[in-house]
Amino acid sequence: MQDFNFHSARAEKARINAALTLSWRIMLVVTAVGLALAGVAFFIIGSTYGWLCIGVAAVPMMILEWRRGELQDIPLGKTDSLSDQLASDVLGLLPEKPSPVAIAKAASTTPGGQFMAVRFGITMNFFSNLLHDDPDASAEVWAQARAIKEKTGSHAITGAVLAVALVRLIPGYQTLLAHMKLEDVDLEAGVRWHDHLRQLIHQHQAPRRTGGIARDWSFGYIPLLERYGHNISAEIAAGGLLQVDLEAHQQALDKMIEMFGTGGRQNAVLVGANGVGKSTLVAALAERLLDASSNLPSHLKFRQVFVLDSAALIAAAPGRGELENLIMGIISEAYSAKNIILCLDDAQLFFEEGIGSVDLANVLQPILEAGRLRMVLTMDEQRLLQIARRNPTLYNALNRVNVPPANREETLRVLQDKLLITEHQRHVIFTYHALTEAYSLSERYMHDIEMPGRAFKLLEASAGYAEGKLVTAESVQRAIEETIGVKVGVATADDEREKLLNLEDLIHERMVNQTRAVRVVSDALRRARAGVRNQDRPIGTFLFLGPTGVGKTELSKALADVYFGGEGKMIRLDLNEYVRADDVARLIADGADDPHSLTAQAMKQPFSVVLLDEIEKAHPQVLTTLLQLLDEGILRDVKNREISFRDTIVIATSNAGADRIREYIDRGYKLEQFEEQITNELISSGAFKPEFLNRFDEIVVFRPLNKKELLQVVDLILAGINKTLAAQKIVVAVDDDAKLFLVDRGYDPRLGARPMRRVVQRAVENTVAKLMLAGSAMPGQTVHLSLEDVQGVFAGEDAARQMMEPTPDE
Amino acid sequence: MFIVGLLGWWYGAGWRERTRMIGERLAKAYDFFSLDLLVKTLFAPFRQISAGRVRGSLDVQIRAFFDRLLSRCIGAIVRSIMLVVGTVWILTLAIAGLVEAVLWLFVPFFPIVGAVMFAIGWVPHAGL
Repeated sequence: MQDFNFHSARAEKARINAALTLSWRIMLVVTAVGLALAGVAFFIIGSTYGWLCIGVAAVPMMILEWRRGELQDIPLGKTDSLSDQLASDVLGLLPEKPSPVAIAKAASTTPGGQFMAVRFGITMNFFSNLLHDDPDASAEVWAQARAIKEKTGSHAITGAVLAVALVRLIPGYQTLLAHMKLEDVDLEAGVRWHDHLRQLIHQHQAPRRTGGIARDWSFGYIPLLERYGHNISAEIAAGGLLQVDLEAHQQALDKMIEMFGTGGRQNAVLVGANGVGKSTLVAALAERLLDASSNLPSHLKFRQVFVLDSAALIAAAPGRGELENLIMGIISEAYSAKNIILCLDDAQLFFEEGIGSVDLANVLQPILEAGRLRMVLTMDEQRLLQIARRNPTLYNALNRVNVPPANREETLRVLQDKLLITEHQRHVIFTYHALTEAYSLSERYMHDIEMPGRAFKLLEASAGYAEGKLVTAESVQRAIEETIGVKVGVATADDEREKLLNLEDLIHERMVNQTRAVRVVSDALRRARAGVRNQDRPIGTFLFLGPTGVGKTELSKALADVYFGGEGKMIRLDLNEYVRADDVARLIADGADDPHSLTAQAMKQPFSVVLLDEIEKAHPQVLTTLLQLLDEGILRDVKNREISFRDTIVIATSNAGADRIREYIDRGYKLEQFEEQITNELISSGAFKPEFLNRFDEIVVFRPLNKKELLQVVDLILAGINKTLAAQKIVVAVDDDAKLFLVDRGYDPRLGARPMRRVVQRAVENTVAKLMLAGSAMPGQTVHLSLEDVQGVFAGEDAARQMMEPTPDE
Repeated sequence: MFIVGLLGWWYGAGWRERTRMIGERLAKAYDFFSLDLLVKTLFAPFRQISAGRVRGSLDVQIRAFFDRLLSRCIGAIVRSIMLVVGTVWILTLAIAGLVEAVLWLFVPFFPIVGAVMFAIGWVPHAGL
C-alpha cells in the first residue's frame, strides 16, 4: 500500500490552490486591474512607468488564470498513488503525516465532506471523539477509501468517500449507523449521489449545440400552434428546463426515437399511471432531438415538440364544430411546418366527452392512422383500455410505449436530480433520510399517483415543514401527518406519551370493565407509537366475541374517540350487508362510485379504527377478501390500487358463541378458562375457518356485565346526559335505588346493556323536559330524581303493556 | 515549485486549454450561424405558409408556384446575407483566437519586456 506523498507535484499544486483563498484572489484581481489601468494612465501622460505596470500586471493575471485552468480542480494523476487519486480539494488541506482526525478535518471542509454532513449528519463533531490522532492509523482509512471509490465508481477519493471511510474505521460503527437509522449501502448511495451531482453540474456547463439561427427557417409558420401549444423544445433550448438523467426511462425514449426514425405510423402513446414521468419523458425526447451532437437520423434532428393545451383549445372554441375546425387547423399547420412533433398530454381529454374534455376521435383517428404527422400521446392504462373498447380501430393505430413506475432505487435517483431545482427554488436542503422517508410514506399513503411522482410530490410538500432550511425525515412525516391526518412518527410529544401510557384509564372513562379487551388494544397502540410494531401489518387486528350489549362496539368507539381524534375516525362496516359473493365489489369499490366502500374510506382516512361488525354474517368470499387486509394491512381496490390499512386498528365483532359464553359464565367459569375452548368451538361448528381466526392478533371474549357493572354503565350514561344539559346549566342527580330500578328495567339478557341507554334517557330526559317546561327546573339547579320519579315515568307505560298482554286464562 | 508549476502549466496544459477554448468559441459561432444548414437550404422557401403539393386549378397552381418562387428568393437573400455575416464573424473570431493563442506564449515575458521598455524609455503615443 502506497502512503500519502505530501511532496508530490499534485499535492504541492493543491496546497497552492488552498492557499489562494477568496481574499487572496480578490487582492490579485484588484492588483492586476489596478496595475493595467495605471499602466494605461501612465502611457496617456507619456510616462514610461506604464511598461512596468503592464508588465507586472501580467503576474497576478497569470496566477489567476492558472488557478482557473488547473489548480481549482486538478485532474487526477495517471498512477494509482494516493496523491494522484485524491480529489484536489482534500489533497490541498492534508498535513505531511495525516492522522485520521486530520483527514476528517480536511474532508469536512470540502464540498464532499459538507455534503455528507448536511445530507447524512456525518459531521466533524461526529468524528472528533471517535477517531485516532495517530498518523499510523491512516493506512486503514486510505485502504477503505480506495475500496469505496472502487465500489461506488466515484471519480476520485473525494471528501464524501473519505467521510464514509472514516465512519467505517470507528469501532462498532454499524451500531452507530443503526442509531442514525442508516446502513452501509445508504452511505455508498450518498457517495454516488455526490458524484452524480458533480457530473450534472459538468453536463450543465458543457456547451450545447442546438442548431443555430437558421434551424427553423426552412419550416413553416405556426401561429396557431404558438397560441394553443406549449413549445417545450424552445424552453429547453433557452435552458429553462433541467432534464433529469432518466436511466429508468431510457428504453422508452429509445423506443420512441426508433418509431419516429423509421417508417410506419408516426405516433407513440406513452402509457403509464399518473406520476410515472410521461411528461418528463416527452421533455427528454425534446431535449434529445435538440442535441446536434446526438446520433439521430437527420430528419429527426431539431424537431420541435409542442404540447397542445386542451383547456385553451376548449375555451377558445366551445362549440363542437368550432373545436374540430380549430384542431384541424392546428394539425394542418403542424403538418405543413414539417418540423413539429405534436404532443397530446393526458390524451384521453381528446377522446372522451366530459367536463374539460371532448371526443375528437373522428378527427384524430385518420391522422393517427395515416401516420404522416408525428404525435406523442400520454395517458394511463385504464383510459387506453377504454379507448380500445370503444374504438378498436383507433387503438390499433397507436404505437404503445409502456412507462413503468420507478422502483425504489430509480425513484431515489430521480429525486436526487429533481431536488436540485426544488432546493434552489425553495432555499432548502433535503437530507437523505427525507428522500427515503418520502419514498416509504408516499408509497403507503398516496394512491392517486405513481412513483417517482408521488415521492416527489410529498417531498415538495415537505419543504414547507423545513426546520432551519433543512428538510429531514421528520419534515416529511409532518407533511403527511398534516395532509392526511395519520400519525407516522414515534410519539415524542409529552401529552401524547401521557395519553398512551394512560390509555386504559381514558377508555374506561367511557366504558365499563372488559379489562382484557381494553388492555390488548391499548398495548397494540403503544407498540405502534413506540415504533416497535411490524410496519407491514395493521397496528392491531382483534376479534371481539361476546353477546350483544357488552361493549364490543363501545370499545371501538372509545378508542376512536380517545386516541384517533373522535368517533368520526371510525370506519364502520356492518357485514350483515355483505352476505352475497358479489358484495365483495362493494367492499373494494372506487371512491368515485361509492364513497362508503371500505377501500374508499380507508384511502380518505388511513389513520382510524376499522370496525367490522357482525363478521360471522359476511359471505365467505368477503371474509377471504379481508384476509390480505388482516395479514399484510393492504387491500386492492377495484382499480387495483393498494390501499393501506397499516395505520388502522382492525376490530371485528361477532355474536357467534354468545350463548356458550353466557353458559360458561353462568356455570361460574372465568373468561381465561374458556376463551380457547370458545375459539375451538367456533371452528368446529363451522362459524369461522381456522385460517381466518389465525389472522387476528388476539381473540378477545367479552363477558356479560353483572349488576354492579351495569350500575356503572348507568353512571356513564348519566354523565353523558349531564354533559348535554350543561348548556342549560342544569345538573341531574339520580338516587341509588332509582339507578337499581333503571338497571333492572334496562337490562335484557338477549340485548345486554344496549336498552339501558334508551331506558335511562327516557327516564331522565323526559322528567327534566317536563320540569323545565313547567318552570320547576331553572338554570343553576340540580334536579334530584328519586325512585318514585323514575317509577312514575314507566308506570303508565307498564299499565298499557299489561293491558295488551294476554292473561294466562286467555 | 510555484514558478515551475505555473510556467509548466502555462506552456503545456494551459496553452492547450486556451486553444481548446478558442476552438470552442469558433464552434459556438459556427453552430449559431449554422453555415452548413444555410448552404444546404440556400434556395429553400423561407418560413413557408403552406407546404406540400398544391391541388386545384391551373391558376391556383401557378399562383402557388410563384408564391413559392418568391419565398425561395427571399430565403436565398436572407441566407446569403447570413452566410456572409457568419463567415466574416467566424473569420474575425479565428484571427482573434490566433492572436490570443500566440500572445499567450509571450505573457510570461511581460514583466521582463516591461522592465526593458521602461529602461529604454520609449512610450507609445507619448503626449496624448
